[in-house]
Amino acid sequence: MSSHGERSPEAELGLLDATMIGMGAMIGAGIFVLTGLAAKTAGPAALLVFVLNGVVTTFTGLSYAELASAIPKSGGGYAFVNEVFGDLVSFLMGWMLWFAYMIAGALYALGFAPNFVELVHVYFSGTVPPPEQVAAVTITGLALGSVVLLVLLNAVSTAASGSAETIFTATKVLILVVFVYFGATAAEFSTAEFQPLFPGDHTPVDILPAMGLTFIAFEGYDLITTVTEEVENPRKNIPRAIFISLAATVLVYLAVVGVAIGTLGATELGEAGETGIAAAAGNFMPTFPVVGGGEAVIVFGAVFSTLTALNAVVIASSRVAFSMGRDGRLLPSFGHIHHRFGTPAVAIVASAVVMVGSVAFVPIRQVGNLSSLFFLLSFVVVNASVIRLRRQRPNLNRPFEMPLYPVAPVAGIGLNMILGLFIDLTTWLMGLGWLLLGVVTFYGLRRFKRGTEGDADTGPTENVTTPAGDAPEGQ
Amino acid sequence: MSRKINAVVAGAGRVGFEAVKRLRGYGHDVTVVEPDQQRCDAVADEYVATVICGDASDPDVLEQAGIENADVVGALTGDSGVNLAVCVLAREFDEEIRTVARIDANSQERYGEFVDEVVFPERAGGRAATNEMLAGGVETLEDVTGDLDITMVRVEEGAPAANRALSDVRFPAGTLVISNDDGQRIAGPDTTLEPGRRYIVAVEPGVADEVVNLLRG
Repeated sequence: MSSHGERSPEAELGLLDATMIGMGAMIGAGIFVLTGLAAKTAGPAALLVFVLNGVVTTFTGLSYAELASAIPKSGGGYAFVNEVFGDLVSFLMGWMLWFAYMIAGALYALGFAPNFVELVHVYFSGTVPPPEQVAAVTITGLALGSVVLLVLLNAVSTAASGSAETIFTATKVLILVVFVYFGATAAEFSTAEFQPLFPGDHTPVDILPAMGLTFIAFEGYDLITTVTEEVENPRKNIPRAIFISLAATVLVYLAVVGVAIGTLGATELGEAGETGIAAAAGNFMPTFPVVGGGEAVIVFGAVFSTLTALNAVVIASSRVAFSMGRDGRLLPSFGHIHHRFGTPAVAIVASAVVMVGSVAFVPIRQVGNLSSLFFLLSFVVVNASVIRLRRQRPNLNRPFEMPLYPVAPVAGIGLNMILGLFIDLTTWLMGLGWLLLGVVTFYGLRRFKRGTEGDADTGPTENVTTPAGDAPEGQ
Repeated sequence: MSRKINAVVAGAGRVGFEAVKRLRGYGHDVTVVEPDQQRCDAVADEYVATVICGDASDPDVLEQAGIENADVVGALTGDSGVNLAVCVLAREFDEEIRTVARIDANSQERYGEFVDEVVFPERAGGRAATNEMLAGGVETLEDVTGDLDITMVRVEEGAPAANRALSDVRFPAGTLVISNDDGQRIAGPDTTLEPGRRYIVAVEPGVADEVVNLLRG
C-alpha cells in the first residue's frame, strides 16, 4: 500500500551530533588538502595561520550563536540574513553561501582524487603509478566521478545525511590522533626546528594570503546552523556546539600542522601540496598488521575525510538552494521535495551541475580561494545582521547574547574583510562574476514572478490546508 | 509563488502557543509577540518561532515583529480588547494583511466587522467536552484524534505529487491518504492525486510539512 508512508522521518540530534557535524565539515578536507598549500605560501608560519584563523572565526562564531539561538530556522547564515535584510541582500547572501558550498565541494573532490590514487598506489605500486605521474585527466575524472556518485546517493535517498556524520567524524579524528601520536614521538620530531618562523623570502605578510586560502577550513559552524531544527534543546545546544567544535578543531589543527612541519619541514610539506599530510606520515609511521604501512592509514584518512566532507557540502548546498526555493527566491521547483525519493532533488542536481563545472574547469588553488572568499563575504553579512538586528529589534528574545557587543561583530567584519583583500585578483573577478549573475537572476526571477502572479491570485485564500481542529466556527 | 506563510502571533498563552506550534508544523514562518518574559523563554525553548518580548498593541513592538511583511496576524491574547487593537494596528501597517482575533465571549461576534475572522476557543473546548460526556454516539471527527491531524488537503497544480498515482508517491512514515478526491471512496494505490481536488490525509505532526510540500508545492 503506497498510500502509507515508508520513509523514516529525520532523527533528533544531540549536542554531540551537532558538534560532530560542525567538526566533520571543518576537519575534513581542510586539514588534509590545505596544510601543504598553506605551508607553500607561509612556510613554518603555517602553524600561526591556523591559530589566527581560529581567532578571526571565533568572532563570527559568536554572531552565529546569537542568531541561531534567537531565530529558530534551519538554513544557516542564509536563514538569519533573510530575517534581517531586504530581498536583494538576502538573495545574494543565499546565492553566495550556496556557491561557497558548491565550490567547497569541488575543492574536496579535487583533494579526494590524488589521495585516492595514492591509496591505490600504496597497495598496487606495480600497476598504479603515484599521483604525480598520473595524467591530470584521470585525476579530474576521478574527482568528477566522486561528485556524481555522492549527488546520486543524496538525490535518491535521505539515508546518507545526518546521523552517520558522528561516526565519520570520530573516525577522522581518530586517524589524526594516531598521526599526531606517532609524529610527536618520532625521532624527527625531537629535533624539529620551528625557528626561524619566517625563513628566506617568507615574511609575516605571507600569513595573510595563506589565511585567506585556508579560511574554508573553518566554515563548519554554518553547517551546524543548517540543521538547528533537528537538534534537541537547540537554544542551549547550538551555541555550545559552535564553540566546542571551533575549539576542538583549532586544537586538532595545531597538533597536526605542528607534527607535519616538525617532521617533514615546511619546504617539503609545501612541495607535497594536497597530499602533504600523507607525505609527512610516510616519514615516521610504523607498519601496522593487515593494513600495512602507516602511511596507508593516513592516506585512507585523507580519502575518507574528503569524501565525507564532500557529502556534507552536497547536503549543505542543496539545503541552501531548497530554503531559497521555499522562500520564492529561486524557482519554486528548488523548494520541492521529489515525489518518489523524498529529497530536494532539483536543488541537489542544480548544485551538482555547478560543482561539476568547477571541478572540470577551475584549478585547485583557485577553487580553495574562491570558496574562502565567499565564506568570508557571507560571514561579513552575518556579522552585520547581528548589529542591524540589535538596532532594529531591541525587544527580540535572545537566549544567547554575545559578550563584547559591538566589538565582536565589528572585529568580525573588519578581520574578514582584511583577509578577503589578500585573496588574488583573479579570484575576486570570478567572484564578482558570480555575484553579477546573481543580480541578473534576482531581477529575472522577479519579472518572471510578476508574469505568473496573476494566475496565482485566482486561487481563493482559504485553500491553505485546513487542519481538522479548525472547522468553521459559526454552526 | 511560494506557499510558505509569514505569520505574526500576538500572545503565547495556551491558545497562542498551540497555534504557533501548529503553524510551524506545517512549515510556515512564525514570529511571536509576548509581554511575559517567562512565556518568552518557554517559546524559545520549543524553538518554533522568533520571539519579540513586548506588548503587541505597542506599534513599535509590532513593527519589530515584522508586521509589514507578514501575510497574516493572529491576535490570540486573553484580552479581546488588545486583540482588536492589534488587528486594527496591523491593518495600518499593511492593508493586505489577513487578521484573526480571539474573542472571549459569544456576544463579541460583532468584532468580525473589523477583523477578517474571529476565534472563540472556549466554544471549541466546550464542544469537545460535550462529546466526551455523551460518551460515543455522535462525535465530531476533529475531537477524537490525539496528536494525529486529519487534514483536508487540496492538491495544487504543479506540486511534486500532482497528477501522480499514489503508488508513485513515497510519503514519509506517519502519513496515510484516506479518501480519494472529494471523499467518496477510500484511496487505493491507483488513486490519482488530481490538482484542484481535496483529499483527506492523516498525518503525524512531525511530517506535516513534508506532506504539504508534496501535495501543494
